[in-house]
Parts: sequence; C-alpha cells; structure tokens
Amino acid sequence: MEKYKILEHISDLKIRAFGKNKKELFLNVMIGMFEGAKYEKEEEEIKREIKVSSKDLSSLLVDFLSEILYFCETNREVYHNIKFKKMTDKNIEGILIGKKLKRMGVQIKGVTYHDLDISQRKDGIWQATILFDI
Amino acid sequence: MMISKKDFIKINNWLWEIPKSFREDMKVPVRIYISEKMLQETEDEALIQLVNTTTMPGMVKYAIGMPDIHSGYGPPIGGVGAMKYPEGVISPGFVGYDENCGCRVLLSDYSEKEVKPYLNELATEIQKEVPSGLGKGRKVQLSIGQINKILEGGVPKLVEQGYGEKEDIENCEENGKMPDADTSCVSERAKNRGRDQVGTLGSGNHFIEIQKVDEIFDERVAKIFGLFKDQVVVMIHTGSRGLGHQNCTDYLRIVIPVYPKYGIKLPDKELACVPFDSSEGQRFFRAMSAACNYAWSNRHMITHYTRKAWKYVLGERADLKLLYDVAHNIAKIEEHEVGGQKMKLIVHRKGATRAFPPGHPEIPEKYKEVGQPVLIPGSMGTASYICVGTEQSKEAWYTVNHGAGRTMSRHAAMRAIRGEEVVRRLKEKGILIKCRSMRGIAEEAPLAYKNVDEVVEVVHKAGLSKKVAKLVPLAVIKGE
Repeated sequence: MEKYKILEHISDLKIRAFGKNKKELFLNVMIGMFEGAKYEKEEEEIKREIKVSSKDLSSLLVDFLSEILYFCETNREVYHNIKFKKMTDKNIEGILIGKKLKRMGVQIKGVTYHDLDISQRKDGIWQATILFDI
Repeated sequence: MMISKKDFIKINNWLWEIPKSFREDMKVPVRIYISEKMLQETEDEALIQLVNTTTMPGMVKYAIGMPDIHSGYGPPIGGVGAMKYPEGVISPGFVGYDENCGCRVLLSDYSEKEVKPYLNELATEIQKEVPSGLGKGRKVQLSIGQINKILEGGVPKLVEQGYGEKEDIENCEENGKMPDADTSCVSERAKNRGRDQVGTLGSGNHFIEIQKVDEIFDERVAKIFGLFKDQVVVMIHTGSRGLGHQNCTDYLRIVIPVYPKYGIKLPDKELACVPFDSSEGQRFFRAMSAACNYAWSNRHMITHYTRKAWKYVLGERADLKLLYDVAHNIAKIEEHEVGGQKMKLIVHRKGATRAFPPGHPEIPEKYKEVGQPVLIPGSMGTASYICVGTEQSKEAWYTVNHGAGRTMSRHAAMRAIRGEEVVRRLKEKGILIKCRSMRGIAEEAPLAYKNVDEVVEVVHKAGLSKKVAKLVPLAVIKGE
C-alpha cells in the first residue's frame, strides 16, 4: 500500500494518505505533508512529546498537523515517525521522532479544512484527503 | 456543481454577474471583473468558491472576484466581501493564513545605467542582509516583550526606535499600525514563531526584486509618485510569516466549533465566520490587527536591511524612499457609500488590494490629488505595475487585484519545466536571479501564472485602477 499521493491543486499542496488503521493514517499524512513540501533533514535523531485534544477525528487531524508544524518551525525539526501512547478519535499522545531540518522546498502556512475528508473504505483501509496552504 | 457561460449575465465587457438564482443558498449575487477570454480560462472551482462566500451572513451587495481569481480554500484568492458593520461576520479564512501578506515599492534616485555595474553586488548584499531561506529566521531572537511592542506599535514604534524615517509611516497603508491590535488576543505560540522572523522574506512566491521603470503611461501621476523612465526601484513582497500563520490556525480552531451557535450555515468549514460584534469576532479582529502590524514591521525591517545593503554598495548618500505599502490579505473597517448613504463596512480582501480614489481621507497628503498608489506585482521574472486608484472602483469597494494569479498548479509547473531552464530563460532576458537552490524555482515559473499584462489591461479598462508605470525586473532575490 502506498503511504500517500499528491493530488492536483492550482496553488496549494493537496494530498491523499492511507493507513491500515488510524495511527498509520495519521503517520502517513504527516510524512506526506513533509515530503510533499520537500522538507529535508540532517542525520541526528530527535524525540519530542506531542499531546493533542480535539472535538472530533477530522479536527484532531488538523490540530495534530498544526501542532507538528509549530514544533517544526520553532525547533527547526522535521519528523518521520511517531510512537503512539494513546490514540482515540479525540486525543493523541505520543512521541514524535525526527531530525534537524536542513531546508524546505516550500513552507506550509496552514493545514486547511477545505475538502477535508477522513474515512474508512470498504476494504478496511483508512484514507484522508487534505489541503495545505503553501 | 459546474458553472457554464449561460449562468453569467454580462454587465459590460469587463464585468460579469452570477445572479442569486444560480444557487438556493446565495444571499447576494457574485460579480467578477474579468475579460470574456480570462473568464473562460478560470477554473470552475474558483467560481464555486466565490459563490460559496455569498452564503456568509451580512454580505453587502455582491461577493466580488478580481481578474486574477484562482481557487484557494474557503474563499478564492482574488475574492472580496464587505459585510454590514457591526453585526455582519468576520472570517479568518477570508483573510487567509498569511495575514497582511503585501507589497511595497522603494524608489531610488538612480537610472538603470548608473546601477547596472553594481547590480550583482547589490543583489548579493541584499540576499546577505535579508534572510530569505525557508523557515530561516534572523540570528537575533526578540523577547516576547519586544514582539508585543511590534504587535501593538507597528511601524511607528520601529521608527521611534530609530529604524527608518517619518515618511515610512505616512506612505504605508494604515500608517503601518492598526489601532485595534491587542497582544492579549495573540497566542504565545504565535508570538514564539515571530521571535526570529522580523525582517525575513520567507518562501513560495515571496521575493525582493530590483526593477526598472520600463514604461510610463501617465506622466502627471508618475511625477507625483516620484517615478521616471529607467529609474531603478525595489519591490518587496512578503507577509506576517509564522506568526500570522499560527494566528489564523488558532482562530480557525476557535471559530469553527462556535459558528453554528450563531445560526450560521456554510458549505465549507474554511468559510467559518462569526458576527463581528461577538466576543470571538472581536478577539479575532484584534489579533489579526496585531498580526498585520507584525507584517508591516517585517516589510519595514526588510526595507531597513535593504537600505543598509544599498548604502554599502552605492555609498552613504544613496537612498531608497518608500513609494507605498499595501496589504493584500486583510479585513478592515472602512466607510463606503451604499445606496447613497455613507456606512461602515467590514471589508475582507483575500488576494486583493485596497485602491482608494483621489481625495480619499485615508491616503497621504501628497497623493491626495491623484489617488492612492496601487502596486501589482507580476510573477517571478515578469513585469509588475504601478497604478492609481480611481472613483470608478467604488462598486468594488475601491479594490484591485493583487498580482497575476496562478493558472497552473505547482506540481504541474514542476512537470512542465525544470528550475534550471527557468533560470536560463530569465538570464537570457538579462535578469539576474539569486536563490540558494533550484528547488521551488520551477513552481514559480512565469508559465504557471496568468499573463500580468492581460490582467492589468482588464484592471485599467474596467476602471478598477489606471495604469501609471510598468516595471521590469533586473534582479530577483528569492528564498530557497
């Protein structure tokens, strides 16, 4: 199964990500976001705690990614894995695993709700479509 | 839902209407200032997004589209909506994530011939002074206290501290400071993101260009603006950086869960809005005003560093005067005439620029006789324009487009052309380009944008603004 694909959009970055379960889906959206915007990293590994609460699953995805972008910009880091401690439709707790950011292709300004879709397909695969303002 | 030509009513050659009858939930019609050819080339998605905005409560007369309209999220880029004050809505998504992204032009005393031998050195020095790299901030981190001063005091505060001159205040929209800014409405996270980004360019389509005045269309206005043929000028395009992005993110998070409680129904969450006079609306307006002050301060400090580079290369007497600075992602309270009556409106401009007419009280004294300078940047390596505000644009709430507008996605542009090829073509035209890497260059290739000459022709003919001068780039300084 592919982790994500980049969809056509005239001015922004739109991706569709997939996962066997919600944890894998959230991880793959994060990977798609950073790779889609070509964030490049150094070697040294970094760990950072993340804790997000929202009112529903789609807000949780937006808030989770916004939190990651905040960490990314203020610490100049980019993340490629997550160790989930807790994951419900309203809460995430875990450890982000990443590396120091070397450079970016284009900076992500925001995670939007525009055409946001998160659902489980008939074949059991979780899928999310999301647009980033760049 | 698709839109076809039969859904439009032609008002004149440059103005088209989608009537309220097009969709049941429309509260007002849509009006777009555009040529027939460009209308046909506009994506349906952008038009539907503009139709969607008409469902926002309190919108007065029309949702308006500018000739550079293209799809974004929520309202389209190149969208304008004025709401009744104070009960109409205010919307973070109708401002955008880059609050007070905008443009300014600095005028030199030199002609192209005089500057040409120093061009490379100038571009190198400016690149060194103004961090343009993606996500890269300045070496000095400001304290939260210093950030608060900028958020509340804007450009006048920086001038008071010895950066820049008095004219930098006068020649800036809002005098570089929105009075309603309140730092207590801006999150610590937003402030943290802003600590090392005052005086930085950022990425994407943000740039500094050294340009020359290639053609003058209106000698009288050009003279008042201080423009002459072959004059070298500097254009700066950037916004509120991480602080503004975080502020928009924060307020969407606040506004999205609460708008239904105000009885608001919307077809897209990114249109999320609340009554201006609600507690959430008031807090957003105060926070956005603060982020706008940050953006003006950012462009002001970039001006300071650019002047430093200018003097370093050309000598102490070399100066750069601010012609004007305008925002193109903003919501403001303005007075307009509606049905013969003066009234206050909450005007949202997303990818659109204010363009006040002659005699308007909010423009500097020296421009009052002719109207506000209007700055329309082109895409990388193409022409930019300086226009002047007109009385005719009254129907558009004195607004004009903010640039050329994309026609091709970044992805499609990367498939269509390589960064190296874009640079080669620019060099062929004699344009120097400074970027730290080829990444992101293809995405901003001229072929990914509408033809700015055509866009400005619509602006001129529709009377939204009148052409004063055409600028062409000599050197482009970009992020990575």
